Amino acid sequence: MIYLSRMLGKPVVDTTGSEIGTINDIAIVTGEIFPRVTSLAFLGPDKTPFMLSWRKYVDDFDGERIRLNVAAKDIRFSYLQPDEVLLHRDLLNKQIVDTQGMKVVRVNDLKLSESRNQLRLLGAEVGLRGILRGIHPSLERAAAWVTRTAGRELHENLIAWNYMDLLDRDLSHVKLSVTHKRLHELHPADVADILEQLSPGQRARVFEHLDDAQAAETISLLEDEYQADVVGDLSERRASDLLAEMDPDDAADVIGDLPYDKAERLLRLMGVDDSRAIRGLLGYREKTAGGIMTPEVTTITEGMTVQEVIDFLRAEAAEHESIYYIYVVEDERHLAGVVSLRDLIMSAPDVHVSQIVQREVITVHADDDQEDVAETMSKYDLLALPVIDETGKLLGIVTVDDALEVMEEESAEDLALATGSVRQWESGAFGWLGRRSGWLVVWLVLGVGAALVLSAFEDTLAGFVSVVFFIPLVLRMSEDISDHSLAVLIEAGSPEECRPFGRQLLVDSAAGLALGVVSGLIAFALLELLGATLEAAIAIAVAAALSIALMAVLGGVVPYLALKPDGSGWRAPSVLVSTGIAALGMAVYLVLAQVLHEAIRL
Amino acid sequence: MAETRTRARWLVLLAAIGPGVLTSMAGNDAGGISTYSVAGAQFGYRMLWLIPVMTMQLALVQETVTRMGAVTGKGFSALIREKFGVRPTLIAMALLLFSNIATSVSEFAGIAAATEVLGVSRFVTVPVAAFVVWLLVVRGSYRNVEKILLTLSAVFVAYLAAMVLAKPDWAQVARAMVVPSFAGSREYVLLLIALVGTTVAPWMQFFQQANIVDKGVTAEELGPQRVDVFAGTVAAGIVAWAIVVTTGTVLHPQGIEITDAAAAAVALAPVAGDYATTLFAVGLASASLLAACVLPLTAAYAVCEAFGWERGIDRSWFEAPAFNGIYTFVIVFGAAFILIPGLDLIAIMVFSQAVGGILLPFLLIYMMRIVNDRRIMGTYVNGAIYNTVSWATIVVMIALTAALVAYTAIG
Repeated sequence: MIYLSRMLGKPVVDTTGSEIGTINDIAIVTGEIFPRVTSLAFLGPDKTPFMLSWRKYVDDFDGERIRLNVAAKDIRFSYLQPDEVLLHRDLLNKQIVDTQGMKVVRVNDLKLSESRNQLRLLGAEVGLRGILRGIHPSLERAAAWVTRTAGRELHENLIAWNYMDLLDRDLSHVKLSVTHKRLHELHPADVADILEQLSPGQRARVFEHLDDAQAAETISLLEDEYQADVVGDLSERRASDLLAEMDPDDAADVIGDLPYDKAERLLRLMGVDDSRAIRGLLGYREKTAGGIMTPEVTTITEGMTVQEVIDFLRAEAAEHESIYYIYVVEDERHLAGVVSLRDLIMSAPDVHVSQIVQREVITVHADDDQEDVAETMSKYDLLALPVIDETGKLLGIVTVDDALEVMEEESAEDLALATGSVRQWESGAFGWLGRRSGWLVVWLVLGVGAALVLSAFEDTLAGFVSVVFFIPLVLRMSEDISDHSLAVLIEAGSPEECRPFGRQLLVDSAAGLALGVVSGLIAFALLELLGATLEAAIAIAVAAALSIALMAVLGGVVPYLALKPDGSGWRAPSVLVSTGIAALGMAVYLVLAQVLHEAIRL
Repeated sequence: MAETRTRARWLVLLAAIGPGVLTSMAGNDAGGISTYSVAGAQFGYRMLWLIPVMTMQLALVQETVTRMGAVTGKGFSALIREKFGVRPTLIAMALLLFSNIATSVSEFAGIAAATEVLGVSRFVTVPVAAFVVWLLVVRGSYRNVEKILLTLSAVFVAYLAAMVLAKPDWAQVARAMVVPSFAGSREYVLLLIALVGTTVAPWMQFFQQANIVDKGVTAEELGPQRVDVFAGTVAAGIVAWAIVVTTGTVLHPQGIEITDAAAAAVALAPVAGDYATTLFAVGLASASLLAACVLPLTAAYAVCEAFGWERGIDRSWFEAPAFNGIYTFVIVFGAAFILIPGLDLIAIMVFSQAVGGILLPFLLIYMMRIVNDRRIMGTYVNGAIYNTVSWATIVVMIALTAALVAYTAIG
């Protein structure tokens, strides 16, 4: 394997064996999955740059020097072609988009491979290995050796050329690759993920390349906190066009987060129909059926025939978000029934709607909680759910994608309990960010508490230094034990699925005692080797053994105490549990060690 | 119609306010305030003429990085990495990290000293301050953090109030502003070097440029942003001036020798009254707190940007472990170090300034090479006159900083 960082600066020699310069850059031609190296750029005497054809003149690269197959005087130099990309100048150290991993990364090195006298680019190295190699190859070797000794592998993180998109150089005139996946060919959800990792300037540049439909879809898929930013950075004309292009419920979502003046201006710039639909939605509170519904709904009357309805759908409803259900209304849009697309297709063209209409419609009210809406939809397996007001007038529909989003939020909240971070969506970015790290703060406070515990034992520590040696051991054990109990928690989900309490206690006590005894013995041996007094060694070993055993028992019991009886969640997040166990274990260890030490000495 | 247009222009300016003001204000940190206090106490008004010169030099550097940020949309460390490669970046980042840690320590020292003047133990205030700083970033979105920090920098008005309480001789002050005055003594030269050296700190360039990028300023919007930079540097200059005038009025005629800002605050009481002491201490505490917020953030952001790791205030621990790790480490280390008993706080300040001094020449030269690279800056490269003035300033600064480092090393 050849790395660009290892090539740069190496000499170039001609057939006469004299050195004519040092390697400065190599160019590849785009358009292949593993692009060929086509040109070599080198610095001649006085740092004059030269370029020559790789295919014509380069004999081989042996890792130390490039050998040419001609004498210096016979070379015809060339220029950079429009479809060539220089690896050093355009790629190395630059930011690229990894279109497969959906991330923005920095190129730390480039990996090449030689086959049949052709050098090809394998990909960009974006991992730690590349950085280390760039600093010095021996550093990379050392790091690889260390990780191997630790039983791990320091992997290369390689991105192939066809999964790269360049951010900086304007390569619009360069066709990157036949099979190249460019940003605008990606799914808007993936584009949204990438955009969130870019700076506002870069974001704007990407938006310039997307067409309106894609841009609109992408904006509606961005996280709330970025939506307002992105719309704010676009020109007002474009922003208003994009908002008009979006589904009204998504557009209302975005506009609701904008400052009032800006929102007004954008609404005024768009067509009357679009702005009316959005304005209508802005009146509903967030997190209700009204807040997530779309007013675009296909309605028909009972007097129509099936054929008329199908014609009407083709002509009028092509833009609508969902046409799986067609709602039958009476005067003033009062909901009278529903017809499914399936009913329509299965019926003869001349059948009247009144013959196939289903009068029992499951509906929700505009101010119903969005969670209830999602539950209703999942209970009845619906693709869309009509929203009505108090008089039974049809206001709009909630489609299944919006309901899924609601459910995702809900499950995220559940997951947050386990990790100790709480994701909240309703209170804006600031509150959400705050709560996400709320438990971290608790953890920090507890950490300070643990430090205070230590400081309370200042006298013990001062007179009895060897006790400190085993604090890390005790802490390490407590960590393992909390991990174990967390695993039990997640696996079980509810107390009924755990073992009976008594049996669990027995198992954990036995295991804990064994663990404690072994740790105690090791501690004793080590202390004796280190030359501690016999009293101290005994006191510490016993204290360590007992505190570890205690923690093990606690770790087994915690799932029973922390799990709510109905299995709906945990009373305390895991960080609290683990810190609690650690603090308790350490306190027990220190107290026991001191007490025993005193007792033995007397 | 005309009226609305004027108003709109004002709004544009207001929206641009932030990065420049914040950076300059944070630059008047614990070390800076101590240096200004000592300058006033030792030489009265004689060093006042230097302040406009310092302000200009700061404005020059800040304007350059602002332009770099707006044109490229990238941070300073990203540009260093892209132009100079991994090895120089590694050295620059290691020095920046080290200097930011050292400076953070001196900021927490400032907080400790100032709050102890106000009668609260450092064992209370330093942990609380560290926690607040940490929380601010972990909990905040950048917009909100910026608002809080800008509010914090408004407390610098305290120095103006302290100055008025000191009742300076305005005619003398005005004269000293325009008439350069030299003294041949070693102390004078040392203080002159320290004054210039404390004005432009390495982290300021990273912070300013990251701010511009984060705000999404484009090259077309540079105008209002320059106003912001100049407003910030002038405001910072005024604060420095007020401090020199205060200690110059109160302490110099009495011949009171001080070594740092907290001592200056205490020494003010008998002459200018308790209010002056309180104002001075509050100013020092908030200045240190402001810088203590900014330093860890800058270190984490610059290092992560240089190596392509996830970063940003709104990234969680899982998403951006390096960013959050560096950030937390700098704060925790800075705060914990101060709580070690029997520490020589002044030595720490001097040391942190020396580390910054070693880094500064490299960064300024990098900066000049980047800003003059047409591939990077396009038509926004420096003009010939601007370049000449910049290089001249930089050479003087490098010479002075080198002298400071040398003096510090000799002792």
